[in-house]
Amino acid sequence: MLEADGSFFDGSSAAKHKVTLRLDEARGILTFDGEALEQPEEWPLPELRLLRDQPEGGWLTFALHIEGEDETMHHEARLSCRDGAMNAALRHAAPNLTRRDIHKGTGLRVLTKISIAVVAILAMIFVILPAMATSLAYIMPREREVQFGRAVINQMHWFLAGDFETDLTCTNEAGLAALAKMQSRLTEGPDMEYDLDIKVLDHEMVNAFAAPGGQIVIVRGLLDKATSADAVAGVLAHEIGHVENRDATIGALRSAGSAGLLSMVLGDFSGGTLAVIVAEHLISTSYTREAEIRADDFALDALHEADVSSEGLATFFDYILEQEGEGPAVPAYLNTHPPSKARAGKSRAHAATQPDTSSVLSEAEWADLKSICD
Amino acid sequence: MSSPNDIQGQYRGTRGELFPLAIGVALLTLVTFGIYRFWGKTRIRKYIWSSTVGDGDAFEYTGTGLEKFLGFLVAIVALAIYLGIVQMLLFFAGLNYSFDPDTPQGMLALTGILYLNIFALVPLVFYAMYRARRYKMARTRWRGVRFGMEKGAWGFSARSIGYGLLTVLTLGALFPLANFKLEKYMADRSYFGDARFEQNGKWTALYGAAKHLFIGLAVLVGGVAIGGASQSESLMGIAGAVGYIWLMVGFVYYRVHAFRYMAANRTLGGEITFTATPTTGEVIKIYIIGTLVMGAVIAVFAAIGGALFAAMMSMAPMGNIGLVGVFAVVLYVIVLVLLGAMALVFITQPTIAHFITTFTVHNADALNDIRQRASETGVDAEGFADALDIGGAI
Repeated sequence: MLEADGSFFDGSSAAKHKVTLRLDEARGILTFDGEALEQPEEWPLPELRLLRDQPEGGWLTFALHIEGEDETMHHEARLSCRDGAMNAALRHAAPNLTRRDIHKGTGLRVLTKISIAVVAILAMIFVILPAMATSLAYIMPREREVQFGRAVINQMHWFLAGDFETDLTCTNEAGLAALAKMQSRLTEGPDMEYDLDIKVLDHEMVNAFAAPGGQIVIVRGLLDKATSADAVAGVLAHEIGHVENRDATIGALRSAGSAGLLSMVLGDFSGGTLAVIVAEHLISTSYTREAEIRADDFALDALHEADVSSEGLATFFDYILEQEGEGPAVPAYLNTHPPSKARAGKSRAHAATQPDTSSVLSEAEWADLKSICD
Repeated sequence: MSSPNDIQGQYRGTRGELFPLAIGVALLTLVTFGIYRFWGKTRIRKYIWSSTVGDGDAFEYTGTGLEKFLGFLVAIVALAIYLGIVQMLLFFAGLNYSFDPDTPQGMLALTGILYLNIFALVPLVFYAMYRARRYKMARTRWRGVRFGMEKGAWGFSARSIGYGLLTVLTLGALFPLANFKLEKYMADRSYFGDARFEQNGKWTALYGAAKHLFIGLAVLVGGVAIGGASQSESLMGIAGAVGYIWLMVGFVYYRVHAFRYMAANRTLGGEITFTATPTTGEVIKIYIIGTLVMGAVIAVFAAIGGALFAAMMSMAPMGNIGLVGVFAVVLYVIVLVLLGAMALVFITQPTIAHFITTFTVHNADALNDIRQRASETGVDAEGFADALDIGGAI
């Protein structure tokens, strides 16, 4: 019978017991005895486990498998041995030495916890935070919202100008008068909650945006590219829709709430940053697409009441479609705006239902508006 | 000094074993999109713990990857709810503060409002630090007996913020006080079996360890100020460089000597004492050699990668530009994985080994009287630290 020296810790105290190990393969047990032990211990070989990820070099620590609450599924006692022959023999004789024991029902427990976590986080991102952002946007004092919107506009202004001094605001009086006329035709119909503050910035970018608190910016490039005053009116009506729906304020509150959540969930690993960017884009896409559709609906209603044809808005979507056509096709779920083709079609279909329409501005006024930055 | 009743720490881990383990763990983490990291961290800890030996008996790390993963799930749900709501409310409250958006000061105020969410995070970071340490203790055993730590994460968080503010308000002068009190808070709540650790000593004694931090800072600030006043760029440059290096060495010196002092004034069960004799020079040597080895390997990879890249660019028709991109990404990932594994093998492990092999336990016979402590149930592992990404590789 193979014999070797070893150390034994009984698991109830830190006292160290010198023991002599004997491998009894016939009975399938490892027995050990020492001065301090009341009687020889017998460990059945099938229950013997080797602790994982130990360094080589001769010393090995063993434990005994038990079913229980302990995180390791080992009895608290430990046995260590530095005898190469004994360790080699044990590796050969103990059949489950390196088996990984797992508590019963672990799979189900893990699946349940994963499901709860996924549902909770999706509910947070897609239901609770947007609802909370909307409620907060509606209780925010108007003057504070306007103040925040001004700050946003200023940042955009500086971004377009490239410095803090240049004032890009267009001030041609005839142009401003045309703009005012367009605004009043669009806002006569619907009940407006906000006092609008619309300005044109002198920059080649084709864009328009709505900031919190009723502030709308049209960038000159949009006027240059627009084929008619009705097209500009359509875009403006869409932005007024964003203002009335408080989309900018809600969006800012929502992104403040969800800041850092995704990078926390996805964690820090190689390529993780990329995954976070993609996921954040997907989420913001799902929010903004809804907001865009609602703003489109608002625009169609406003145009309808103002007796302005929504054909102009349709031509603007045609233009965007044409611009998109130059790049690779973006799948709908990756694009922050609904597909332009569908939006153009919807506007065009709406235009067909409008009985009497008149252009939002006269030819002369339209020319004035186009030269608002001169 | 050495008596038969002393136990000197030993470290048995080798580069040859840890390196393949670290590479394997990093690759598995990569292909599982980060999920394996909980199991990977567990395996590395198991290796390092079981390489740590006192009187021939290895430490044991009994944490599991699964409990870390489940703890992480609990933590991210709790954090998502807490942070989502608190961050949004802080931002909302900030927006209700009056500022003039047409002035730079007003815009600065807005930027400040955007960073308000840091206040939501800070208490949690300290909370998570204590929880992570407590988990590590609860999952460490030696001679078959568990280490452990009492609950007290919120108390630690409150004290950390208090002492942190005190340190900031005194421009760092009371840093040793904060460090001492927080270490004592943790040490006094720590156990080996049923025996409690106790941290004695005085916080003012840490000023000796901190002296090079203050000298380095004085050289840096004083030199640059005098150089700036006398418009001497060379003086500013020299003072800046000397002060910076002094400060860096001073950090290591502080870590090493604070560790020595704290160990010398710590007792276990009232009768077991400790001596730690790590040296600043050895730690800096490990760091320099490790950095040089890593730098050399990266240089070789950069050279090979650059040459292959140039060859591919010249040979490949323009249509194969995607292939070159894939190659670049693969190379980047290889370097990232290698760097992580090398940092562990050439810097972390030797530093740990140095601290362990210079650590002595006195009156070791008293260990025989220490009894087992009950198993810690219902721990959420170190999920909060994982979610907030604090605590590092091990």
